[in-house]
Amino acid sequence: MTTTAGTSTATPLLEARAVCKEFPAGGTSLTGRATQVLHAVDRVDLEVLPGETLGLVGETGCGKSTLARCLARLYDVTAGEVWFDGRDVTHLSRREMRPLRRDIQVIFQDPYGSLNPRRRVGSIIGDAFAIHGLEKGPARKARVQELMELVGLNPEHYNRFPADFSGGQRQRIGVARALALRPRLIICDEPVSALDVSIQAQVLNLLIDLQDELGLTYLFITHDLSVVRHVSNRIAVMYLGRVVEQGTVEDLFGGARHPYTKALLGALPAPDPDAADSREHVVLSGDLPSAVDPPSGCHFHPRCPKARADCREQQPPLEPVEGDPDVHVTACWHPLAHGESLSSAVPGLEIATPGEVEP
Amino acid sequence: MTDPILSVPTMTDTVTTGHLPRTIEGRGPWKLAWLRLRKDKVAIWSLVVIGLLVLVAIFAPFFAWLTGHPPNVQYRETGLTPDGLPVGPSSTFWFGTDDLGRDVLTRVAYGARVSLGVGVLATMLTVIVGVVVGLAAGFFGGVVDMVLARLIDVVLSIPFLLVAVALVSITGPSLLVTIVVIGFFSWASMARIVRGQVLSVKEREYVEAARSLGAGDLRIMFIDVLPNVMAPIIVYTTLLVPVVIVAQATLSFLGLGVEAPTADWGGMISTAQRYYRTAWWFIAFPGGALLITTLAFNLFGDGVRDALDPRVDRLIGR
Repeated sequence: MTTTAGTSTATPLLEARAVCKEFPAGGTSLTGRATQVLHAVDRVDLEVLPGETLGLVGETGCGKSTLARCLARLYDVTAGEVWFDGRDVTHLSRREMRPLRRDIQVIFQDPYGSLNPRRRVGSIIGDAFAIHGLEKGPARKARVQELMELVGLNPEHYNRFPADFSGGQRQRIGVARALALRPRLIICDEPVSALDVSIQAQVLNLLIDLQDELGLTYLFITHDLSVVRHVSNRIAVMYLGRVVEQGTVEDLFGGARHPYTKALLGALPAPDPDAADSREHVVLSGDLPSAVDPPSGCHFHPRCPKARADCREQQPPLEPVEGDPDVHVTACWHPLAHGESLSSAVPGLEIATPGEVEP
Repeated sequence: MTDPILSVPTMTDTVTTGHLPRTIEGRGPWKLAWLRLRKDKVAIWSLVVIGLLVLVAIFAPFFAWLTGHPPNVQYRETGLTPDGLPVGPSSTFWFGTDDLGRDVLTRVAYGARVSLGVGVLATMLTVIVGVVVGLAAGFFGGVVDMVLARLIDVVLSIPFLLVAVALVSITGPSLLVTIVVIGFFSWASMARIVRGQVLSVKEREYVEAARSLGAGDLRIMFIDVLPNVMAPIIVYTTLLVPVVIVAQATLSFLGLGVEAPTADWGGMISTAQRYYRTAWWFIAFPGGALLITTLAFNLFGDGVRDALDPRVDRLIGR
């Protein structure tokens, strides 16, 4: 990537301020109120700077797709604010959002589900123009075919149906649709995770090329760390609705502070098997806890090899660890020192560490 | 399965550029369904039968002209035995006569008008109301859904014949009342089917994609949701027509259908049951017409369902 971002001086293009999203869960009582609440996104702060790619990683079910939909204003947030280009867009009505839709676009995960099977490709991509009353008749067709060419599709296939295309080609249709209105920000919600590995790289490279060509900003959501390393400038790691660590690619891959980040990195397949031994493999015990009834304090403490008694008490703030640059923030009471191994850590939820807990 | 229709040429994921834009037509889901339906012999023959029935209904006066017997003329000299009983099929009355000496053939032909007319109109009413209600309930959800879903439950729990009999005893028998009564009692099941389908379709990612492009509710409902719930609507509609025709015949059989002289199958069967020992033709021809009509629509509906649902293996079963 040609753009270098990561300095906090630039005005963010997209900003989440303490965004919360809750869903009713466990049915409703007789009075119609939810008996339980699922905290999908829990007070997330995030900034996406112009021209950069912010990678958002986390396990399936950690709330990253929900956060993306909140930021794209497909969901209404429960609390917090969404800012776009210096403007609070949290409570804009659907009508007020319409002009902004041209600036924010989404590429969806499922290339089979995200294209209406009953419509021709030309109409699907042309929808962007139809909805906003742009480029009528032959001009629209020409623009659509231009877009198809831009994303590497044969413009002659204008009148085909989605079923006539392969998964990779369908995802290119999705990319063309997202690009049609010349957006400034594209939220990519796991754009390659449904594709064959051989096709993933093609689509990723297409996205990278388009970013260079059109000056796009990406919020790139994935559970695949090797993908996020390939495309991102900065990475935010999510766990159970919260951001637990955030920093540049070098910060995270070079010196992860949060035990969860470290464990995710340890799960990456090594490009060089001989060197693989030098990395540690940490197998996290247990599953992602339920977001209906999340663990107290630090959400990660039941699975954390370094957890201590205080981790149960209070939620750690997202702050730079001493010695880290301002852009590298970690939410952990006992962050890893550089070079510290996670496998040597002794789990000790019963061990009190009064010295490290603030009074 | 090696169905040549389904083997759409596949393409590799490569970049193709440099040609002048020529358009290559894709075969859409509807076209593929039609191609599948065309191979279904039973469905096509049912369609032919339905076509013939429609022709009979449209050209019913032709039968009156052919036999020289208009539907409501009573031939008391030639059409009744000296004892006043119906006469059997002969060169004069091909299908015999009824209890009043009227030509059964002409009356069966004219009866097709009532059956098919009510069948089509009441079905249309049902489909329009059912689709609108189901679409609104499923799409908007919340309070709208709650109110409409309860309304559906209420309508489905009202006994059809009881209310029909009560209503017609107030208004008197007429075709309009028949259509309205049948429509009123049929839309709820259609609405329930549509609602269920809409609930699943509206969660699809292409609906979200349309929203993220800035599409409004109406556009999403009619461009993204409705076409994707059309298949069950079409299947249910074709299977609804015979049900409606039977319902009309039932009302008519109970004396709640059409006004007296008008020929209609249910009414004929009702009168004929008193003569089934002496005049089999009087009950056999209108009854046979009703049977053939409902059978044709049912078989055609089955074919349409198979054609619209490619998951059903076409090689098995027929």
